[in-house]
Amino acid sequence: MAAPPRDPERRVVVTGMGVVTPLGERLDDYFEALVAGRSAITRWRSVEERCGSRIGGDMSGFDLEAHFRKAGDAYPASLVQSARKLMRPTPPTGRITAPASMQAFVDAGLPDPRLRPERFGHVLAGHNLNSNYVYEGHKVFLEEPEFIDPLYGVVSEDTDVLSVISELLRLKGPSFTVGGACASGNLGIMMGLDLLRSGRVDAVLVTGASNDLDPPSLHSWVIIEALSFRSFNDEPARASRPFDALREGFVPSQGAAAVVLETLAGARARGARIRAEILGASAASDATRLTKPDRGGQVRAMRGALEDARVAPGDVDYVNAHATSTPLGDAVEVAALKEVFGERVYRIPVNATKSMLGHCLSAAGLVELVATVLQMERSVLHPTINQERKDPELDLDFVPNEARPAEIRVAISNGFGFGGLNSCVVVGRPA
Amino acid sequence: MFAVVKANIQEIIEGAKGAEIKESDSMRDFGADSLEIVEVVSRSMKQLKIKVPRTELSGARNLKDLLDLLEKFAAAAPR
Repeated sequence: MAAPPRDPERRVVVTGMGVVTPLGERLDDYFEALVAGRSAITRWRSVEERCGSRIGGDMSGFDLEAHFRKAGDAYPASLVQSARKLMRPTPPTGRITAPASMQAFVDAGLPDPRLRPERFGHVLAGHNLNSNYVYEGHKVFLEEPEFIDPLYGVVSEDTDVLSVISELLRLKGPSFTVGGACASGNLGIMMGLDLLRSGRVDAVLVTGASNDLDPPSLHSWVIIEALSFRSFNDEPARASRPFDALREGFVPSQGAAAVVLETLAGARARGARIRAEILGASAASDATRLTKPDRGGQVRAMRGALEDARVAPGDVDYVNAHATSTPLGDAVEVAALKEVFGERVYRIPVNATKSMLGHCLSAAGLVELVATVLQMERSVLHPTINQERKDPELDLDFVPNEARPAEIRVAISNGFGFGGLNSCVVVGRPA
Repeated sequence: MFAVVKANIQEIIEGAKGAEIKESDSMRDFGADSLEIVEVVSRSMKQLKIKVPRTELSGARNLKDLLDLLEKFAAAAPR
């Protein structure tokens, strides 16, 4: 029996978006870089030499003041002034993440007196956000406990990133973090969707936080061979190559993105610009601690999201793949897509934002949702770069190396995390 | 020593930026919150390489008291 249609009053739309990534700190710059097929991957600038990870999407040089200067009058002066004060003692994660949230807020035409702060929620996607700050703090403590950052116990918490942004934007509704490894972003979007559908909030900011990566984690990912560390250290732009036969592992990146979600009815009532609709979402666990991907869990996540969205597989015309560039992960995702979409899969373009941006971990679901919406709005598919040698088993249309025009009405965006955490979000062009 | 403390006050406490700072002032006079006060003190101790026990610091009422404590424990610090 077909599921009943969604309550039109509680349909959920995207009214604002923001990004701060190594490919661009504004939506237009980000989109232009993606369409041009530009790689964000370089040698790490500040990761210690002993660490086996040498390359990534490095934002260690991010300068908040330079960001504000470049933004010109995009942000209200009072917001910039508050951000300067709040960001001064904030570790790098918050300093990169907060401006993405500010952008999304301003992009949604906010603040708006018709949206009460008490009815405005905030979901922050991600965890272990300040791990390099924690690592550096431990080193200071080992030398001399009295000389640690006195705010360490406050600002090292993931929830500090959540709360400092809520303070900045005066969001006083339900606020919490959502963690699900590399599926965190999609899970955050799903929670935002549920908060709006349940009527707990009138609007919600979903922020995908940047990760401040610590050398022990990076090195451990080398030891378990999850990262690209062998062949491309001298050619970092070639390292992230999802689906290509020479792929070796994922390439970690820093960067953040955020969206403002509202009900369709609420957005229309206040005359907000509707950028896209979040039609549905789903999460499915493989019930394992392993990093190994599982086709069955991925299929359940995609089918669950389509059912939640009341969308048939035949209506999907674009897939933003999880596609991290690991040998096994990409192959399993392709197999899962074949199972969900059947023969039609060969006619659906499937691209990988990570081929250019690398893997933004906690923020991946958000940076990829923003990429999906921008492609939908502008009727252009960005490429999957570094497609040089075809893997015979991976035979879908990956939009290799060149952008191309495409009309996208319904898209899915996948996010799969270590520990068998699978998620999928379904996005539609506004009605 | 006072120069180090003053520089940290100017940088950390919004209301002290550009203000004349005297030894008789308290950081509260410039609108500092409790976390900002802790930050000024900790940063100054680190820069000066002086450790003042936290139990002693709670008795400081103004900058003069803080400077006296820094002087006292500077003398005790290994060179």
